[in-house]
Amino acid sequence: MDLVLHLAIVVAIYSIFALSLNIEVGYTGLFNFGHVAFFAIGAYVSALLSLQDATFSLALIAGIACAGVGGLLIGLPALKLQGDYFGIATLGFAEIVRMLLQNQVAWTKGPMGLPGIPRPEIFSWHFDTLPAYLLLTLGAAVLTFLVIGFLTLSPFGRVLKAIRDDETAAAVLGKNPFAYKMEAFVIGSAFAGLAGVLWAHFITFISPGDFTLTETILVLLIVVLGGKGTLWGPVVGAAVLIFFQESVRFLRLPPEWSGILGPLQQMIFGLLLVILMIFRPEGLIREKGKETIDRD
Amino acid sequence: MDSLPYYLQTVVNGILAGCIYALFAMGLTLIYGVLNFVNFAHGELIMWGAYFLYLAMAEPFALPLYAAVPLALGMTALLGAAMDFALFKPLRKANRLTLLIAAIGLSFFLRNAAQLFWGAQVRTYGFEIRQGYRWLGVSLTPQQLAIIAISLICICGVYLLFFKSRMGKSMRALADNLDLARISGIHTGKVILSAWIISSLLAGVGGILMALDTNLNPEMGVVNLIKAFAATLIGGVGNLWGALIGGLIIGLAENIAVLFISPGYKDAVAFVIMVIILLARPYVVTDKRTD
Repeated sequence: MDLVLHLAIVVAIYSIFALSLNIEVGYTGLFNFGHVAFFAIGAYVSALLSLQDATFSLALIAGIACAGVGGLLIGLPALKLQGDYFGIATLGFAEIVRMLLQNQVAWTKGPMGLPGIPRPEIFSWHFDTLPAYLLLTLGAAVLTFLVIGFLTLSPFGRVLKAIRDDETAAAVLGKNPFAYKMEAFVIGSAFAGLAGVLWAHFITFISPGDFTLTETILVLLIVVLGGKGTLWGPVVGAAVLIFFQESVRFLRLPPEWSGILGPLQQMIFGLLLVILMIFRPEGLIREKGKETIDRD
Repeated sequence: MDSLPYYLQTVVNGILAGCIYALFAMGLTLIYGVLNFVNFAHGELIMWGAYFLYLAMAEPFALPLYAAVPLALGMTALLGAAMDFALFKPLRKANRLTLLIAAIGLSFFLRNAAQLFWGAQVRTYGFEIRQGYRWLGVSLTPQQLAIIAISLICICGVYLLFFKSRMGKSMRALADNLDLARISGIHTGKVILSAWIISSLLAGVGGILMALDTNLNPEMGVVNLIKAFAATLIGGVGNLWGALIGGLIIGLAENIAVLFISPGYKDAVAFVIMVIILLARPYVVTDKRTD
């Protein structure tokens, strides 16, 4: 039973994480290859505040806000770039964030990580058991789903899609592509921060090694597998992939395999991305109104 | 420590690193010029190039250096050509997002494949370190001299190939306008394949030299991809000489910056330079715009 609860919590957190990437990659066409940076900012800010005895509400808000501001700061130079360059810029940004976490030992304890992050408490409600925590993450996931669903179905979302499909045409119609991209990027970063906060308080121990390119690839794969540019895609993708990933962990394989298993699993993830892109770039759920997809 | 030879040594080290970055950047920019996309798996060609040499020189093959190097470079070129054949060729007409996600997936696959075979630990080729030559207080080991010499030979080779040969002319034509090049009777498939082979060779040579100067680890690909990209950006994307100058600038800046900041942030220097360039103007050394 605990296993099921654990799985459900991880799926919920990764759904939030993937939904936040989808608004960038799926709806706006921004190749964010450093999404894990915002997840890391949320996790570290919230964990550090909580370890200084701040209340969870404060830590949560600070984590989300810092991730959003981080998005704004990196977006200012990076969003001036076209596709590929933006990808490299974000990839580099994620490396810098990881380097900061690793080298600013005075704040982050460097590679030793932060143990003993408390489980959250809001208005004297304790979320220290698995079912209670599941309730919290589910609540957050539903909220994220509704907010992002509302945003993407609104005129705002249609402008994002227009920019993705033809930036020049959107600009000609009087929409400022830079401003819209920036809004999408900051919203995505803030929600990634939320996912990071929930992750830190669930796992209760974080270290810079948790926030590598591997996480970015995993969440990108979740979005692409589920179906980018669709509302349910990231959720379906998260359920499928996290189930696969976590079930390998519970197979009780001999410990001497663990050195092989990690890279092997990540090879499979990489290969899966490649195969999906060649044979079914639209993912499991196809975006409505895009029948002649991915040929331009 | 605070004396002229010390600064001179820093500059020499910077040039040394810069030569290697220039090789990476030239390979990256070559593919960009011909195919108009950033090859996210270029870093993995660098890393695999270095590991192929390690493979050839370690047991059970234990080949001597003169046999191992051509073998390693050949394998790297083969890997580059295979990447194009298996992935980029089928996606030639796909949209950018699809192409980029596939490329980063491939890069992740190759990186973890290396980790599967060799583990995450740092390795070296195990050459003995020899006494360096000293001149004006600057010390250079024979290996470092060889690195600079080989880089210069490669750069000259690229120049001859690109500007003095028929193939180079075709490549430049292709970079300029694919359809026109095809109409003029240029065999585009062959040219693209040669571009991949040259790009992979440059990555392989650079990777081996980098591993010789520092060490081998599966992470070396991503870090150097970012540096190569920063170098490319300085020089103007698609511009070979710009890439060369950009590489030297990145190498020098990194080594000089370490005089002032913690070495833990050495790899961040390239990124900071990149951001400054993007903020200032995206066409610095050459007047060719990159946006």
